[in-house]
Amino acid sequence: MRAVVAEDQFLLRDGLTRLLEAHGFEIAAAVADAPALLQELLHNPPDVAIVDVRLPPTFTDDGLRAAIDARRAVPGLPVLVLSQYVEQLYARELLADRAGGIGYLLKDRVFNDDQFVDAIKAVAAGGTVMDQEVVAKLLRRQARRETLARLSAREREVLELMAEGRSNIAIAQRLFVSEKAVSKHSTSIFAKLDLAPSDDDNRRVLAVLAYLNG
Amino acid sequence: MGSGSQLLVVALLAAGVLVASARIRSDREAHGLPTRFGHLAWTLALAVLPITMVATLSGRFDPSGLRAWMVAIALAIAVVLAIRPGLAPRLVPAGLILLGVASIVLARAYLLAAPPSALPASVVALPGPSGGSVRPGLDAATPAGLWATGPGLALVQAYLFVLLGGWLAWRSADPLLSRARHLLDRVTGLAPRAQFRALLLLPVVIMAAELFIPGRWYSPASVALWFLPFLGAAVVVLRRWPGAAGRLAVLGVLLLGLSGIVLAMTFQYGNAPSEYGLVVMAARSSPGLVAGEALVLLAFGAWLAPQTFPSARRLLRLPPDPELTRQVQQLTDSRAVAVDTAAGDLRQLERDLHDGAQARLVALGMSLRAAERLIPVNPDAAIALVAEARDTSARALTELRELVRGVHPPVLADRGLSDAVRALALDCPLDVQTHIDLPGRPAAPVETACYFAVAELLTNAAKHSGAREACIDVGHSDGRLRIEVTDFGLGGADPAAGGGLAGVEKRLAAFDGIMAISSPAGGPTIVVLEVPCALSSPKTSSC
Repeated sequence: MRAVVAEDQFLLRDGLTRLLEAHGFEIAAAVADAPALLQELLHNPPDVAIVDVRLPPTFTDDGLRAAIDARRAVPGLPVLVLSQYVEQLYARELLADRAGGIGYLLKDRVFNDDQFVDAIKAVAAGGTVMDQEVVAKLLRRQARRETLARLSAREREVLELMAEGRSNIAIAQRLFVSEKAVSKHSTSIFAKLDLAPSDDDNRRVLAVLAYLNG
Repeated sequence: MGSGSQLLVVALLAAGVLVASARIRSDREAHGLPTRFGHLAWTLALAVLPITMVATLSGRFDPSGLRAWMVAIALAIAVVLAIRPGLAPRLVPAGLILLGVASIVLARAYLLAAPPSALPASVVALPGPSGGSVRPGLDAATPAGLWATGPGLALVQAYLFVLLGGWLAWRSADPLLSRARHLLDRVTGLAPRAQFRALLLLPVVIMAAELFIPGRWYSPASVALWFLPFLGAAVVVLRRWPGAAGRLAVLGVLLLGLSGIVLAMTFQYGNAPSEYGLVVMAARSSPGLVAGEALVLLAFGAWLAPQTFPSARRLLRLPPDPELTRQVQQLTDSRAVAVDTAAGDLRQLERDLHDGAQARLVALGMSLRAAERLIPVNPDAAIALVAEARDTSARALTELRELVRGVHPPVLADRGLSDAVRALALDCPLDVQTHIDLPGRPAAPVETACYFAVAELLTNAAKHSGAREACIDVGHSDGRLRIEVTDFGLGGADPAAGGGLAGVEKRLAAFDGIMAISSPAGGPTIVVLEVPCALSSPKTSSC
């Protein structure tokens, strides 16, 4: 799988590159600023891009904007955005095109390389991966609590893990239930959120969006 | 009509001005919203003016014709005001100024050798400045009539009109007039209080010119020759040295007062040159009036001088200007709060780092060292220790992230106040609507202060109001940033109770910002923040 890494701090860029190579990724390019990233994404789109939000030249949200611009030109281009902090505002902007293949994680998540690589693979496959901190903040929202009141407690747990980009197998392991039970729960979630039957991946993305956008 | 009607006109004018100024005060309090009483007051004040105006320019009308004109005009004004009540606050000051200027122009024409033919026949036929009797049929209440009976009273009245009109325009809350004041602020670059004193220079210069232009030289050309250099010099001084203009004006007022008294005494007790200007002639015909006017001028100058010359205040052993004292006190307070807050924040930051990230890094180093020792002996325990070290570093990162958010939120640095407030709205447990219209970014310290103020208000609303919904409006106009945070909860928020709201108010005070709260029992709670600030040019790109 071809991956592009955009990170301005050398140590982190190097660490990410080595981590990905160790897990069988081919590093197509490792860039240090937003213009180089955009150039790479537009002219040689990889299978997945791992992008730091804060990049030169302005050291604000250049990485985020480059990712959104690239996805405007190449719809659905899988991008996993990494940041020292997560903002719901940015999560919304990344999700706005509803094209899937998007991830938004805290940099800390790199510590758990297995989960991190799973997240990259989920994004590359067109899934949606949101950091658990974004998900936790959303849960605090009263209005949203009511929208999702139709779901049972267990179903909400499943949806939460789905939003974090986990597969049914991973969710089953996490909740100590069978995979069959998870798939039963997810069918029930889709029904309660009025999502028409279609291919499963797309419905997962839509369920997550319904969840995130209230 | 005679002296009785003259008194009536003056009384009506005085009453009109009194109610008009009361109206202006209520105008300011009610944000310019018209009240029924206010309308009546303006109508009364306004009706007097054009009646006097017409009387001014129509001295040849017989008394009954004049009365018909007055009734017709009063009716016309009432109709106009009923349709467009908003016009009243503009028309009154404008009318007063016009009336004063017309009266002065009339005086000029009256004294010129060849008055313009457009003037009423009665004015042209008036006796010359050397004296004589008033033509029968001429209404003594009109300025033209006044000029014939007593130039002194006419002159006083003319300047009184101009000054009153200017003062009313100055105090009015009318949007058109405030725009004019803003323009004046920009042109002169003066604070409004200083401006009024500086602009006094113009009437003072005109009065001084009146005093010294010899009467026998009156002709349009010589008047222009005398006045233009005076006016030109005054305008140059006003523009180049506005501070000095204020002082010159005050000195001029005092000197005019003194010279008036000297003139009045000269005519009272001896001979005086006969060929001097309007003021001199006024003094000759009515020394008492000129002396009165001079006393008014002296009093006015004595009132202004301590404000313009701080040394005069010390000389007179007056307490310092209360307004300045208040400002100094306010600045001292807000600076103390700003310094205290900054020092407190730094202390808190140090404590958080010491107890948090620093402690965790120490633990991390110890775990790693222990693991290092355990690797050859007990690899399983070493692995467990390394895993623990990883958890510790993750916790240290989380704590650092929270700290950074408290010091300077990244989204504020990235996107500015608009998006940072949107991010706050999204993070808030309440359902928050935002309406943000900022064409640029305020200065960084103002942005930060406003951000934390909104964060505090939203936290308060979420904790105490019991509201489910809130809304935030952010806008910028007239050099002020305005933020309005409304929650639809129980109300009853009290800044005097201390805590968050009082803190917000204190922190904003460092930027001359203010906070206003409306929180009736039962809600909604509306908190308005206003901070004077300029916006930088709009951002070129944003997604």
